[in-house]
Order: sequence, then C-alpha cells, then structure tokens
Amino acid sequence: MTDRTAKKIGVLLALACLAAGSLRAEDLKSLTRELFVVPSTTGNEDLLAGKIRGILPRGLAIEEDGLGTIAVRFRGPAASTFLLAALDGYGHLVSGITPDGYLTIDRPAAPPHARFDAYLLGQPVIVSTARGPVQGVVSQPAMHLLTQERRKTLVENFSLENAFIDIGVRSEREARDKGIEILDPITFWPGLTELAGDKWSGPSLGLKAVAAVLVAVAESLAKEPPPRETIIAWVAQTKAAARGRGARPALGAVRAKTKWQPVRTIVVDIVAAGEDGKAPLTGKGPVFILPKDEPSALRQAFERAAAGAGVSCQFLAAADSPVAIPFAGPQSEVLTVALPVQFLNTPSEVIDLKDIQALRDLLERFLKTGGGQ
Amino acid sequence: MIKRVAAFILTILISTAVASDGSRAWDILREILFVPGVSGHEGPVSDFIQNNVPAGFKFQRDRMHNVWFTVGSGKPHILFVAHSDELGWVVDKITPEGRLRVKRGGGLLPEAAEARPLLIHTARGPVSGIVAPRPGYDERRQQANAPEATFTAENFDIFLGVASEAEARALGVAEGDSITPKKVLVDFAPGLMASRAVDDRAGCAALLDAALRLKADAFRGKTVTFAWDVQEETGLFGATELAKTLKPDFVFAIDTFVSTDSPLESKRFGYLPVGKGAVLRAVDSSNVTPRTEIRKVMAIAKKHGIPVQVGNSRGGNDGSVFLAGGAVDIPLSWPGSYAHSLIEKIDRRDLEALTDLILAVISDWK
Repeated sequence: MTDRTAKKIGVLLALACLAAGSLRAEDLKSLTRELFVVPSTTGNEDLLAGKIRGILPRGLAIEEDGLGTIAVRFRGPAASTFLLAALDGYGHLVSGITPDGYLTIDRPAAPPHARFDAYLLGQPVIVSTARGPVQGVVSQPAMHLLTQERRKTLVENFSLENAFIDIGVRSEREARDKGIEILDPITFWPGLTELAGDKWSGPSLGLKAVAAVLVAVAESLAKEPPPRETIIAWVAQTKAAARGRGARPALGAVRAKTKWQPVRTIVVDIVAAGEDGKAPLTGKGPVFILPKDEPSALRQAFERAAAGAGVSCQFLAAADSPVAIPFAGPQSEVLTVALPVQFLNTPSEVIDLKDIQALRDLLERFLKTGGGQ
Repeated sequence: MIKRVAAFILTILISTAVASDGSRAWDILREILFVPGVSGHEGPVSDFIQNNVPAGFKFQRDRMHNVWFTVGSGKPHILFVAHSDELGWVVDKITPEGRLRVKRGGGLLPEAAEARPLLIHTARGPVSGIVAPRPGYDERRQQANAPEATFTAENFDIFLGVASEAEARALGVAEGDSITPKKVLVDFAPGLMASRAVDDRAGCAALLDAALRLKADAFRGKTVTFAWDVQEETGLFGATELAKTLKPDFVFAIDTFVSTDSPLESKRFGYLPVGKGAVLRAVDSSNVTPRTEIRKVMAIAKKHGIPVQVGNSRGGNDGSVFLAGGAVDIPLSWPGSYAHSLIEKIDRRDLEALTDLILAVISDWK
C-alpha cells in the first residue's frame, strides 16, 4: 500500500466516522423529540415508561419495581453498575370538576420553586386521560376587565385557588364524557422551540433529554455489551419525597435502592445552568455534582472516561440530590453526572444538543471500558 | 360606455368568484392567525387579505397598509371594518450578550409571556426566542408575604440561543423587528378552539369570507366598503386615517366582544356565551349604538334565521372614529372568552353566524 493510498483510506475512514457520528447525533435528537412529547409526572409515568419500552431493543428483558420504574440489565461478572435517570417530571393533576365543566388543579408533589404554578396562567395544557390527550387552557382574566385589585389577586398572586382548566365543555358530565377523571395528569403544551446555537427549548425537556440519553446508551450496550454487569433504570416518583427526619430522599430512588441493591450508582440528573459564573453553562459539557471535596474512585474513573472520550466536563460543588441520597453509604458509591439546563423547571427549559451528545459519549465510554473497575 | 362595460365585467367577475355558498371563515381564520401583523407591522397580513379576495374587487391600499375595496353605488354607504393588527412587541435593543429588550406595552399580560417562546419577525424570516424567567425565579423568597416586583414588558430579556450582539445580528435580528408569542391552536373539539390573535383575525376572516360569498345583486342601490385597517390596538390609528377619506352612513366594526363566559369573570355584564351566536356589541367603551339600529339588525337576523346575541362590555372599536363624520357605529362580533390572551376562545358557529349576518346586512340594510 502506497502512502497516497493509505492517506486516502485514512481520509475515507475519517469521513465515515464523521458521518457515523452525525447519524448518531441525529438518532439522539430524534429520540429526544420522541420522548419530549410524552407526558410524565409523578405517579403518571406509565406513558413514558411504555414509550421507552417500545423503543428499547427487542430481547432486552425489562425489570420493574411495581412503582413505575423500569430497568434493563446487561449481565456480566462483578458487582453491577447502576445507571439511573428520573422518569417523572414536575406537573399537575386534575383535582376536581366543577358543575360547569371546568377542571380544578393540584400537584402530585411539592413544586420545585415558588413560581412554578404561576407559569400555568393563560396557557394551553394537555390533560392525559385513559382515552387519550384532551386539550385545554388555563383560564386568565380578560385584559379589558382587569382592575388593579383583580390583577393583584388573579395575576400577580396567581395560585391554584384561581386556576381553572377550560376544556371546552359546559358540564361535569360533558367533561367526564371526554374521558376526564380525577388525578389525570396535566402538563404544559409540548411545544419544542429550536433556538440558535444548537439549543432546544421546551417544558420538561431536560428530563426527556436525559431519559433519551439513557435509551441511546442502552441501545449501544445491546450491540456491544459492557464487560461488567450494568443496570440502566428510568426511575419513577423521584419528585415525591420519602417522609421522615433529616434529608428527604426521593421515594422512587429509595425503592430502586431496595430493589436493585447497587454498590456503584451513577445518577444522571439535570442541573440549573446560569450565567452568573457560579452555575454551570449549557454547551460546556456534562456536570459532575460533587458533594465532597475529595476525589472518589468513581469520580476518577469518570474523569478518565471523559478524557478518553474527548468530552469536556464541568464541576459543581453541591449536596447530593434527593435521588442520589439513598445510594450514598459506607458500602456503596454514588456519583451524579448532570445535564446543564437553562431556565430549569419552567415551561421553556433550554438544553444544548452538544451536551446531550457529550453525556451519551461519556456514559458509553465509562460503561464499555468497565467503569474503572 | 367604457364605465358601463367595466361595471358589467366587475359584476360578472364578482358573481363567478362565488364558488359556493358555504362559509370558509373557519379555515381562513386558522390560516390567517399565523400571519404576523403586530401593530405598525401589518404588511404581511394585508398581503394575505389582498391575495385572498376575488380579483374582481378593486383594492386600495395606503402607506399604513390599510386595505379596502368598495362595490355598488348610491345610498346608504355601509362600511365594514376589521382590524388586521395584533398584539405584540417590537425589538428596542440588542444587548452585548445577544439578548433582546422590547419597548413598553404590548397589550398582553407580560406574566403570560414569561418563560415562553416568541417569534421575532426579521427581514430574513422568523427567529425563535424565549422570554427568560425573571431573575431569581427559582429562589426561595426571603419574605413570602412581601409583594413581588411587577413583571412588565420592560423586564423582558429575550434569549435567542446566542451569546453576543454580533451573533444575534447574524441571525437577522434588528431593532424595530416585531415580536409575537409563538402561537398554538388549541382544538377543544371540532369547531371550538383557542389561540392568540383571534382578536381580530376572526373579524378579518369573517369579512374575507363575506367578500368571497358576496353576490352582485346584494349591494344593488347601495355602496358597500370592506376595509381591513391597521393599528387598532395601539389607538385606532388605521381607522382614523381611513375616516379622512371614507364617509360612510353606517359603520359595522367587526371585532371581539369581550365575553365574561369564563370561570374568572363576574357575570354582571358581558355574559354572552361562546357558541350561542354572533354578537351585536351594543355598548362598549367607545360607542353606544342607538336602540333603533339594534332593532333593525335583530329584525334582519330574525328574518334570516341567524342567531345573534346583544350585550355590553368593555373595549373600543374602530367604528367609533367614524361617528364624528356622521356615521352610526354598529359593532358586530362573536363572543370571545379570555380577550387579549394567548388562549382567545372562539366557536365556529359564532364566526359563521357573524359572516351570515354581514351578508344579510348588506342585502337588507336600508
């Protein structure tokens, strides 16, 4: 083989790699889009779980915990690595139907911040019933009829006390005829906005992007199994807190810990991005959440994987999240790797597509190289 | 002789332009809703209207983008006017960080736009942006009972996905570009929906539909003008300009009736339910229609079997600027819940009744 031929082959291989990388990026975008439109709130994760089951490669046995969590196991020697992401996002539910057919609203879990409910004012929403989605709007006062006093009550101090969903019916009977039942989940209209700079925006987009990353990783491991036992889980009820004293772990995480008993856990989470110099940035890679200063073996292994995959990462000193809490202990290790999300827990969460690709590459590298064990 | 031939040809064109008697208002509305036209930026929506009216009508257009045509001759002169502008904002400034600031105003609740997508209508096409949530939105409030700072359009910090002014400008964004909320159609059921800009694109659609269904013999012996005017939301400016040249005897402003058919409003006035027919907006903040004229309209509606509700509410209408010129203002509407929101609600039956009422008035008004 001449030098010229070798060069040509090299160029062709590089182009093929680029094309493959581009295809993989498109796959991940397409996966994210598919999951984005599926509503999933605490206690109502079945639709998203069903969607993920349908996408996962056939032949992978699905394990369940009875609370809504689903997982796939790649068998191998040695103690397992448990990779998990949340299956549920923040949302609302139907708490009642008025005699004139409007729906009242409550939450299945505490809101992530004080303004969370206020984003409902005057917005289109989806009520997911057993018979399918019902479109509705959260009422708002007509601007022409809004006095200063009413503005304070109904707008500036908007609360669920004044929130009614109009689904275009005139009676409770008509609402029920549409399939509405108490506890049906209410979610923001799933509109995806494509911004400049490879950024996407939409409600619960961070959650769905991370769930898609884990699906992509599972697909990849199904083709090229990891050298160590690996369990990938999409965990339900992570927004509901277990009762008791001290730090409140997420219910779903407590349950997953009991069911799978992992010794090494990777929580794939989302974290607020910002521009104040303290918070991580979108577009700069996955974020390691570090509750302690000393580098753990798991963290070191991840950093090596990041270097091997050519993924740049960010670091944030912060306490373990309610999802990570149950997995931390003297006999077990936990590390949280998070996707930076701008405008977190608003109807317009912003993610950078480069970050989700980097997150997938990092996780794949870590798992396929044995996770540093 | 030439004039008579031209009039004959015009009559033929108008007659043949009517493909069917069926109303297309609903389909027109669902299309025209998405044509941008913030007050002062109505060019695209005026184009849409002009392109969708039968070729036989002799359109006029002024520099403000008011568009209108007149058919028939003689008295009375009846004017129908719907406004083509919509609520929105205008880019005031691009920051060094590539964020957009807007001018005060807009007419929509700023809170309903917070953390929501928008479209910036640039010379090169629409660009998406997000109104950033207010700073500290996710922080625990120090004093839960203390009032929060008011959130206004001046607080808007619109994120485009870029990090510098140069990058924002490279997208085509410039000062003066108009901005609308990103619109969605909420379909409650077939023929019942909610969206942004139903006010007054429903009026525009009703007039367009009426123009498409207009028959030459309907306006024999009278003068009828159809107008789509601009800048209503910012102060009836388009109508004021039109009133300099048009001197109708009767003006029928076609615009939203602010209905209290909502779980949040008092039913003390304005309770005209959605789905119960067109509306004669007898009393509003700009006009009081004489009872004699109300009775005339109701008699025509009854004769044609058109469901019409009568009520009073708030807000102004374009017809009111023609009062000083000698016209009687008789606003026609549909009952609209959640006026000036992202979720203005409308029923197809009301819109079609409105179109039927416009055609019946043209035919029977004396």
